[in-house]
Amino acid sequence: MPLDVIMPALGMAQDSGVIVAWHKRPGDEVAEGDVLFEVETDKATMEVEAAGAGFLADVTAAEGQDVPVGEVIARIADVAGAVPAPSVEDVEPAPPGAPEEPQIQETPEEPDAPGAVPDGHRVIMPVLGMAQDSGLLVVWLVEPGAKVAADDPLFEVETDKSTMEVPAGADGYLAALLAEPGDEVPTGETIAILTEAPVAEPMRRGAAAAPVPAVHADAPAAPEPAPEPAAAIAKSADAEFPRPRAAPVVDGRILASPKARRLALEAGIDLAVIARSGTRPPIHAADVEGFLTRRGSGGATRVLTAEVSSDTFDAFAAWAATEAGLTDPAALLAGFAAAALGRETAIVAVERGPTIASYAVTGRALSEVTRTDAAVPDLILRDVRDLGLAQVALGAAAHPVISLGTSGGRIVLTLECADPAMTAPDCLHLLSELAGRLREPLRHLL
Amino acid sequence: MREITLSAAVNEALAEEMRRDDRVFILGEDVAEAGTPFKVLSGLVEEFGTARVIDTPIAEPGFMGVAVGAAMTGMRPVVDVMFGDFLFLIMDQLCNQAAKTHYMSGGKLNVPLVVRTNLGATRRSAAQHSQSLHALVAHIPGLKVAMPSSAYEAKGLMKSAIRDDNPVVIFEDKLMYQDKAPVPEEEYLIPLGEAQVLREGSDVTLIGTSSMVQVCQQAAEVLAAEGISAEVIDPRSIVPLDEATLLASARKTSRAIVVDEGHQSFGVTAEIASRLNEKAFYHLDAPVLRLGAMDVPVPFSPALEDLTVPTPDLVAEKARLLCAGELIHAA
Repeated sequence: MPLDVIMPALGMAQDSGVIVAWHKRPGDEVAEGDVLFEVETDKATMEVEAAGAGFLADVTAAEGQDVPVGEVIARIADVAGAVPAPSVEDVEPAPPGAPEEPQIQETPEEPDAPGAVPDGHRVIMPVLGMAQDSGLLVVWLVEPGAKVAADDPLFEVETDKSTMEVPAGADGYLAALLAEPGDEVPTGETIAILTEAPVAEPMRRGAAAAPVPAVHADAPAAPEPAPEPAAAIAKSADAEFPRPRAAPVVDGRILASPKARRLALEAGIDLAVIARSGTRPPIHAADVEGFLTRRGSGGATRVLTAEVSSDTFDAFAAWAATEAGLTDPAALLAGFAAAALGRETAIVAVERGPTIASYAVTGRALSEVTRTDAAVPDLILRDVRDLGLAQVALGAAAHPVISLGTSGGRIVLTLECADPAMTAPDCLHLLSELAGRLREPLRHLL
Repeated sequence: MREITLSAAVNEALAEEMRRDDRVFILGEDVAEAGTPFKVLSGLVEEFGTARVIDTPIAEPGFMGVAVGAAMTGMRPVVDVMFGDFLFLIMDQLCNQAAKTHYMSGGKLNVPLVVRTNLGATRRSAAQHSQSLHALVAHIPGLKVAMPSSAYEAKGLMKSAIRDDNPVVIFEDKLMYQDKAPVPEEEYLIPLGEAQVLREGSDVTLIGTSSMVQVCQQAAEVLAAEGISAEVIDPRSIVPLDEATLLASARKTSRAIVVDEGHQSFGVTAEIASRLNEKAFYHLDAPVLRLGAMDVPVPFSPALEDLTVPTPDLVAEKARLLCAGELIHAA
């Protein structure tokens, strides 16, 4: 399926961005993570990466053009030449701050249908800190339908660092609330609409509604937010207001019942993880149980261990450093692990204490293992040999984890993975292949 | 099974015990010919005579002292304190003498006496005849406190109290004397310190004493219609307290509300809630709530008096909040 490339929200109160330069031409093949274009905001110029692989097509914004946040400016097609790729020069620049009708027209519902998102100024989840890709909506500070000035605090956002009040950003009437307190909303996603004229029935999208597709600041290719079906929309805001004002975090503590704390502790789950998953504190036992059910749906964690002598790998690493200039043993491990995974290309994150280094492995050759900033690994290598630990099982994460421990001059490999991530034969294959490569590094080269 | 009133059940318990043991006798104001203002003791003086059903002067400290002395020297008196509010008059005899004699005599003396009195508001009896003062005596080590919630409990607990070798204070709800309940013809005892689970549930535990048991049961009915499963427990005696049953229920449901007609502050609800917090803490999904009588002198005005005691609606409302996971006192 083609991916839409949109103008991302890169800062607070940013409603448009100027395209400084395209780094890819229409028709170019792009890989996930490739720099697509540069955007200039009022604060900084930033590179925007492709959220998926494919061929750049349908480029509708030229260099120098000021594009409203959220507007589709290109697509990443599955097939080269599948869609006409007009040259950038042919695109007629739109006036700065152009209205966003295209988005409304693209939506499957009639704009006038009851429950449709009204036209107006879109309030987005802002980026309040570096490396923040979502924010927890704590509370709406304005009643639906009420009049707000641009500087009026509109809502409170909690990030991993702090809770902040966010101003409305424009004068108008709060015509639609598209997120609920407690929702974890990706940055750039529209969470409210301000209209110039008062609205008779402010819209409030209930928390039960299907999540609005995300528009990540760092992943600008997600589809447009589309209006929810009318049935999913709370019929009257009055029924929802006033809500008891939640105090999700008090002095850095997440409110949770004693039973919820105990259940989380027993399951080894940080309450912050549950809170970030979208549960609105206070967290109760049912929230923890629900989280565990969701996480564990599909079955149990697989844990496999293997042990190999560390001598051969250490000798190989020394040889690689002196003879081939491959001085990073972690890169060698990443190369072995990717090959053991049986994939042409793979992202392997190597955790060593607090540092995490991600490697892109693009082939068999260990010299082609390069550092990458890609956030989502296929496999995590957790090296705990420096800590003197032999075997650790910290619970399955979203991705398979292989821990490397040490015991009596031997490397202890522990593979953990949740059921849906890999099948049992896959797990056996992965661990035996990796152990084999550590035992006989030449195996990898042959 | 036949149904009899709470009043008749108490009368039967006393008559049976007086027939069984001639050391048992009753003393108090208006207990003989008058049969007490609530007619609970009617007929006893005709059967047992004025030597065993003794009308006293209006002098509570005096006849309470007589009872303590009689108990220490081998009798088993049942002292009738006409209104629970008059407990203040017998505090020294009850709390300093009866409660401590066994301990201070090194176990050589027992004080096997029963004080039967009452509690309960909404009878339009004003501030000095409407109090529920059971927490006052429950605070004193050496005194047992029973709180029957129906005719069945009233009879079984009274018989156990009379046979107990230590002082026991029984509080009957003065509004329940005419309430009927099934009571077996044959003899039975209800041991002190044994709670009864009246209704099983899984979402919230409602612990009620005396007439508040009815309140909890009515609340549980309302909640059941809304899909909230409430467990109702009657401790039956608050000293000794069947902690194990209460804790097991709180651990099961993770939520509890304690309902009692004594004033809420420093009262029975606080004591029970506190024990649940201490001993079931890691099983609780919400704060244990107390619902006691308002901390005001009981008003004479009917409209105001009715506002001061917990009602089924209030219990149900609080239970809904707990089960919905609403923040309570979180600010």
